[in-house]
Amino acid sequence: MGRFLLKRLLSAVVTLWLLATIVFMIVNVLPGDVGRKVLGPFAPKEEVAAFNARLGTDKPLIEQYATSIKRIFTLDFGESYTSGQKVSSIIGDALFRSGKLALLALAITVPLAIAAGVFAARRRDKLADRVIVMTGLASSSIPEFVTAAVLMSLFAVTWKFGKVFANPPDGAGVIEQFRYLILPALAMVVVYFGYIARMARAGVINALNSDYARTATMKGLSSSQVMRRHILRNALAPTITVVSVQIGYLFGGIIGVEKVFNYSGLGSTLLIAVGNKDIPILQGGVLIVGIIYMVSTLLADVLIAFLNPRVRL
Amino acid sequence: MTEILTPSDASPPETATAPPSERKQARKENWRLIRRRPSFIIGVVIVLVWLVCALLGNRITPHHPLDFRATPHLRPSGAYPFGTDQTGRDVLSRVMAGARDVMRIAPLAALLGVFFGVMIGMLMGYVGGWIDNILSRIVEAFLALPVVLIALLAITTLGQSDWVVIGVVAALFTPIVARTVRAAVMAERDLDYVTSARLRGESGTFIMFREILPNVSGPIIVELTVRIGYAVFTVATLSFLGAGPPPPSPDWGAQVSDGFRVISAGIWWTTFFPAAAIASLVIAVNLIADSVQSVLEG
Repeated sequence: MGRFLLKRLLSAVVTLWLLATIVFMIVNVLPGDVGRKVLGPFAPKEEVAAFNARLGTDKPLIEQYATSIKRIFTLDFGESYTSGQKVSSIIGDALFRSGKLALLALAITVPLAIAAGVFAARRRDKLADRVIVMTGLASSSIPEFVTAAVLMSLFAVTWKFGKVFANPPDGAGVIEQFRYLILPALAMVVVYFGYIARMARAGVINALNSDYARTATMKGLSSSQVMRRHILRNALAPTITVVSVQIGYLFGGIIGVEKVFNYSGLGSTLLIAVGNKDIPILQGGVLIVGIIYMVSTLLADVLIAFLNPRVRL
Repeated sequence: MTEILTPSDASPPETATAPPSERKQARKENWRLIRRRPSFIIGVVIVLVWLVCALLGNRITPHHPLDFRATPHLRPSGAYPFGTDQTGRDVLSRVMAGARDVMRIAPLAALLGVFFGVMIGMLMGYVGGWIDNILSRIVEAFLALPVVLIALLAITTLGQSDWVVIGVVAALFTPIVARTVRAAVMAERDLDYVTSARLRGESGTFIMFREILPNVSGPIIVELTVRIGYAVFTVATLSFLGAGPPPPSPDWGAQVSDGFRVISAGIWWTTFFPAAAIASLVIAVNLIADSVQSVLEG
């Protein structure tokens, strides 16, 4: 296990370095002055120079590159171009709020989708299975912001359930916050449900057809025992991977949901940053979400290795 | 516990060593199987409807999509089946004309991503060695990039244009496609027909593109259809976030973005119809992708 962990951690470090390099390249891919590109051809010279000085984009490329590599490993993303506040603290606050929303969405999606996937697999090709598969295919096809807008018009407006604005008042209790966050969370549940359910279904079908499942059934275990002890343990590995990958995507899709429900999380922070051309915040946002993705896939790999010793070899 | 590969699993599929005529036969048979699936037919019909809207645009819309002479926020009725929007434009006409942007940008981005993905994936799978090692690392780092966030960053630094959106989507799809193609190529690399081509003295390029490529076309076609679905999804999300075509042009994502703030006042149609249009197109593309996938990958 130690060797496996070390190998996995080393590759994570390499990926982080590459991540920082790619983000650096996006800003510097076109030749020329960053300030000029961002502010446009009509901005006065002094403004462009001030922009570059503030962002550090007037320094030699090598020096800028070294800074951006240092930043991803120290989690210090510099200062916001507009407010001068530390990017890490701006994004940290926003991330905390988005994280609440994302966690609520995951807490609903994962058990629901796994249950639906297992249920469908056990009734393979019957009506219930077909319905779950088709619903999953359709629901995961619809962008989050579309689902959010539809849920908002149905629930919050027509049926007076949930809130149109998802920002809970300051000092709201857990239940109060839940009432504000449930609709935007549901919008994400709809999108991620289908993918995870399909993965769980495929995993269980694979495991059900295996020799060890047959052996377990033939030695007289009840079907619920076979399910718990043999099938789920093996079938859920791909599902865990998918969930961990989705956590990265979740923070992309959440931007649209936050915009619809006017929630001040990572999404709205980044959209404001686009309006202000606040590159350090945008870079920080990309890197943070990249790091979240890395950490969640790393944890998933460790979890899978823990469940299935063969992976550690 | 492990899945043991039986000899029949490991041996090449029939088509791999079959003469071209038989390969053509198998392809015809696959195509027949795909066409027979109801989900494929439904998907194609919906895509065709939007394609006609995209191609003919203003010529078939009941009103001009930019004509603002109607009363704002009219409920859906006979003259305006989808109602009118906040400036008195016909929502139906705007939804029809709005197909153009997404139908132009998304397939192009997907095609570019698949093209580069195939190139890189072939290289990784066939050449292997340190090239594969390095490229695999880079692919892994790319997978950690959130596409929407990267697009927002790129639009801020490179300026807002369709090409930036196409470039970002294509660039982030490339490694995903490359990974799939790499796996498919690696399964082919050591088969007899490749070895015999090598012994014949064929060049690496010839073997990759004339020998292996036809045999991995299945996964590539699947990947292309799946990627087009994701591209529509992503492009719509970006235009909703304000990174799409500039305001007066009718774009589905931008329409939703204009309309959703008045939902709470009971004006749902300006948001609902473009939103439904996006959903219908992505679902249609995914129905096609799903049919292609279940036939080609069993």
